[in-house]
Amino acid sequence: MTVYGKDFPDKSFNDIPPMTTPTLNFEFPGYLTANKFLSQLADKAILKPVSEHYTLKSYYDTFDWRLYRGGIICELNRSQTVSILTLKNLHTGQLIASADIDSVPKFAKEFPSENIRNVLAPLLEMRALLPLTTLECTRKFVNVLNKDEKTVLKLMIDTFEYIPCRLQLTPVKGYDKAALKVIEALIRIGLVESNQPPLIDALKTQGRKPKDYTSKLNIKLDPNMRSDLAVKYIFSYLLKAIKINEQDTIAATDSEFLHDFRVAVRRTRAGLNQLKNVLPDAETARFSHFFAWLGQITTPTRDLDVYLLDFDNYKKSVPPALREDLNALYDFIDRKQKQAQKNLAKKLKSPDYIAPLIEWEEFLRSPTIKKPTQANALLPIKTLADKRILKVFRRIIKDGQRITDQSPPGELHDLRKTCKKLRYLMEFFQNLYPKNEIKSLIKSLKHFQDILGEFQDLEVQEITLKKFSEEMMNEGVPADTFLAMGVLIQTIDKRRQQAREAFQEKFNAFDQPDIRDAFHSLFGC
Amino acid sequence: MKIIATFNIKGGVGKTSTAVNLAYLAARGGSRTLVWDLDPQGASSYYFRIKPKIKGGSKKLIEGKRELDDMIKGTDFDNLDLLPSDFSFRNLDLVLESKKKPTHQLEKLLKPLSQEYDFIFLDCPPSISLLSEAVFKTADILLSPVIPTTLSIRTLDQLKQFLKKENNKKIRVMPFFSMVDRRKKMHLEILETTPKQFPELLKSAIPYASDIERMGLERMPLGGFVKRGRSIQAYQDLWEEINRNL
Repeated sequence: MTVYGKDFPDKSFNDIPPMTTPTLNFEFPGYLTANKFLSQLADKAILKPVSEHYTLKSYYDTFDWRLYRGGIICELNRSQTVSILTLKNLHTGQLIASADIDSVPKFAKEFPSENIRNVLAPLLEMRALLPLTTLECTRKFVNVLNKDEKTVLKLMIDTFEYIPCRLQLTPVKGYDKAALKVIEALIRIGLVESNQPPLIDALKTQGRKPKDYTSKLNIKLDPNMRSDLAVKYIFSYLLKAIKINEQDTIAATDSEFLHDFRVAVRRTRAGLNQLKNVLPDAETARFSHFFAWLGQITTPTRDLDVYLLDFDNYKKSVPPALREDLNALYDFIDRKQKQAQKNLAKKLKSPDYIAPLIEWEEFLRSPTIKKPTQANALLPIKTLADKRILKVFRRIIKDGQRITDQSPPGELHDLRKTCKKLRYLMEFFQNLYPKNEIKSLIKSLKHFQDILGEFQDLEVQEITLKKFSEEMMNEGVPADTFLAMGVLIQTIDKRRQQAREAFQEKFNAFDQPDIRDAFHSLFGC
Repeated sequence: MKIIATFNIKGGVGKTSTAVNLAYLAARGGSRTLVWDLDPQGASSYYFRIKPKIKGGSKKLIEGKRELDDMIKGTDFDNLDLLPSDFSFRNLDLVLESKKKPTHQLEKLLKPLSQEYDFIFLDCPPSISLLSEAVFKTADILLSPVIPTTLSIRTLDQLKQFLKKENNKKIRVMPFFSMVDRRKKMHLEILETTPKQFPELLKSAIPYASDIERMGLERMPLGGFVKRGRSIQAYQDLWEEINRNL
């Protein structure tokens, strides 16, 4: 950085104005270059060029745009002398945090700067920060002076190759009049105030836009559509989710790729099983079998991922003196996870996966039969949706009412699976129904589902941890670790019992006349 | 927030260059810093190329009709602001006298700024007056540049006697040698003997140097136009010593 023609390596003169300085951001009209702009402005104000340097601006976000959704733009600016990561407010352009950093770590916890970590961690959770795009930029610093050659306003102009220039204006305290005069001149020249980061324009040039991925379903269907056509459309939507998450599932970029991959697989399976007599039987059976296999081969890695993601909570659930003893368990699970991931990657690269998936895609693309023999194929999709949703709902109520305190865990597991089916059906078809009403029913179902999920997860964890301890016995793990694992299993068991006891209350809250009425009036044919 | 006043009964001893250069170093180190130019001659305002003008002059300022914050100007350096001087400051004593508790007025005015700045430098005019008494009430540190001459040592003694009489225990006096010319025998002699008489004397000394004089031509703190050298090093040492003593 240079000040009055002199070089200053000092930190306080870096490119970023102090945090409290409010800045104003402008966008150039597309035709206007920085030099043309400066020559036009030079007629209205005394300008002093301060410095100019070449910068690479790289933008980062998670695959599902967690920072953007949280209103944050994460930008790494690299020049010859400095490399600074900035987090800025998406809407106002104001700086939230910044730190000198050479390269961007993958996960929030790996950031050396506490300021950055504190902002990122709650938003990113387990997701990896990935590069979105890099822009080459020439950054010019120009000061506006008064007749005493005192700086009254600071300008920073960024010039890019394919997108319009940006200008950031930093007023100097006590020189508002001078700032206003320059702002008026800027507007006359054609600049417009805009806090839109260059990222948005850069994505546009790549044919992308922010938030172009979400794991949530938003399938737009026409209620009168033929069911076979609608179902193929739903499966194509899910196939897109499978394919988009596939490569990073293989690369294990973060655990959510596999999670979203599996959700899409499970939804496809549920669709094939729940929406019967729509597509030809032979294909339904064949692909149902393929997706069951796909679910199966992805399970070990996901299960181990869950243990690792939850490990901090495991540690917290045992007395502080035992916490460090659990590290050997973490290492054991971590090793197993790596092996499971390797096996999974191999399978996902094999013809066993690739060939049926291509066939599935071809099948979905193939035109529907004009006169199908399947009973439900020509049914308007809304009619089929109504019928299926109501049927599965009734089954949940019937099965749920049959469960008593003495019922074996298997009955709760079966009920959980039925609930998942209902949930998927409601999500596939949500756009066919009034938004608020279906959302509220999904919410009630989710609330009830959560307790079933918790019960099963805890039961599986208890069994698996016991299995792990047997395997670890042969590995010469210290006795203290087994002691700590014993305590952990006890706390899990206690929570499992609590979840079991809470079942009745949660089911009663779901099995209410108003919920039943709402289901019947929304989905009743 | 720490308030540091650069003060000496005598003029031309380097008060303004001390305030300006130390404030620059404080700001460069990341501290939010303000210089208040209390001298009607407006030398520190001049060094920052800021007009020595306050709307409504000293009267409006002391009356508190306008927030001090509204009169503050940003300098060309990050984290460094200036409250400019005004020619009417020559009458500050008269204005202060018209108020109840005149020596408490500066303290009252500066209070709202305590959250905004880490350091406030008060660049004071020479002489002992009502204004300097108000400064002594407000400041945490009285930084007093002393030229190594017998007369200067005498004025330092006068200042100490005065503060003793006033029973001002809050303020810490930190004298240091300024405009030291090592070619002069008397300077060297005084440099050697004075510390025994004044144990509070800081060890760092500012040399008599042409680049410090050049500040008037460049109109900016030394650090703004000189990268390294004896003078800038001397100010850096002085600032570090003050910080160690804070």
